[in-house]
Amino acid sequence: MIWKWFIFAAMAAVIILAFVLPSPMDPRLSLGPVDAYRIFYFHVPAAWVAALSFMVGMVQSARYLKTKDMDFDRRAVAANRLGMAFSAMALVTGSIFAKMTWGEFWNWSEIREVSIFILLLIYGGYFALRSALSDDEVRATFSAVMTIIFTVAALFLIFVLPRIYPAFSQHPSDTIVDNEGKMSLSPMVALVFGLSMAAFTALYYWLYEITVRGSRYFDKNRLES
Amino acid sequence: MPTMSVNWAGRILTVFKKEMLSEFRTRYAFNAVIMFSLVTLTVVSFSLGMNRPGPEVMAALFWVVLFFAAASGLAQVFVKEEEARTAGYLRLYAPATAVLVGKIIFNLFLLVCMAVLLVPLFVILLDTVPQNFILFLSGLFLGLIGLSGSTTIIAAIVSRASVKGALFAVLSFPVLLPLLVAAIEITLVSLVGGNFAAAWPPLQLLLAYDVVMITLSIMLFDFIWHM
Repeated sequence: MIWKWFIFAAMAAVIILAFVLPSPMDPRLSLGPVDAYRIFYFHVPAAWVAALSFMVGMVQSARYLKTKDMDFDRRAVAANRLGMAFSAMALVTGSIFAKMTWGEFWNWSEIREVSIFILLLIYGGYFALRSALSDDEVRATFSAVMTIIFTVAALFLIFVLPRIYPAFSQHPSDTIVDNEGKMSLSPMVALVFGLSMAAFTALYYWLYEITVRGSRYFDKNRLES
Repeated sequence: MPTMSVNWAGRILTVFKKEMLSEFRTRYAFNAVIMFSLVTLTVVSFSLGMNRPGPEVMAALFWVVLFFAAASGLAQVFVKEEEARTAGYLRLYAPATAVLVGKIIFNLFLLVCMAVLLVPLFVILLDTVPQNFILFLSGLFLGLIGLSGSTTIIAAIVSRASVKGALFAVLSFPVLLPLLVAAIEITLVSLVGGNFAAAWPPLQLLLAYDVVMITLSIMLFDFIWHM
């Protein structure tokens, strides 16, 4: 219960502060409108939660394969469902930002854009596979195996490819930590950003628990009726 | 106590032989892959007409043709077991790893047959001669190993699903994407006549991908096969 109040207060504070405070970007360095950089407070936490959710889904799938306990399958599905939603959010906000600052919605040489799009394709495949399998246990096992294969392929893509092809990337990567490894955020920006990260993570955890509980009740009632 | 020392090479070879025999009787997958690659190549060549795009486009087109031709036929190795209801006998006869490796080798054989037909046609129809032919062939072969190595387990997964063909392509694409990027890069270098050193990073990536994906398939196949 206390969690919900924290999420409410933190989210409200982040939304207000993100628009009241001056933009986190230095106007002299800004490409395009400086206010576009306010998206930093929402886009980065959404992308972080998408990545976190992908990892949660992968860990729960591995645990299902190890224990064959249906509850881990429910957890994997919940994580992947939320991961899909947050990936879509990060993709859309990032794409709008790209249009406002770099002049185009989409650029295939930008590995972060591409990898989040691949993430959406993976989720699409995952749910297509689940809906095509009718037996509960087969569905849980096969989709867990597929998740692990997807994860390894995605790791290849995300970590190995950019090192081999140093593609031209416009994505700001020195926003949080600069090239010397020091914090490059001003204290106020860092505070709002930290609050936003905490709020998004708490929101994710809350949604995740609700989804898992919901599917538990659904399965219980389905078995009894 | 059952004997622990299984004759792996023998079992794998037997599975491969059985695949060859049953494929030879129907020639379903063989025809599908060959015809699909021919049709796609014809469409590509025909629609390009008199235009001759650069080697970048040619390398990408070559792998697009290969990918879709593979997607049309490779799922058949496991789908036919489910359709003929012979999977149970295979489970009794051979350990899971032997079944998987035998079928990976069979799929690789299928892809090599396709490539033997496709590469000369590609050269003739699209007037694209690889300047460094040895690099071209090694990139192609590593790519084909990766194609069969990573999609055979996906074939086993979709063989139990209700929509097989479309699902196979949908699930394969994200898995094959690193392979396609690396293979297109190698093919491009070989088309413009670069040497092995120029294509070394993607070659390394492709080799690592093949090893990792085949190992992962072998590790995970037990879960699928005994379901």
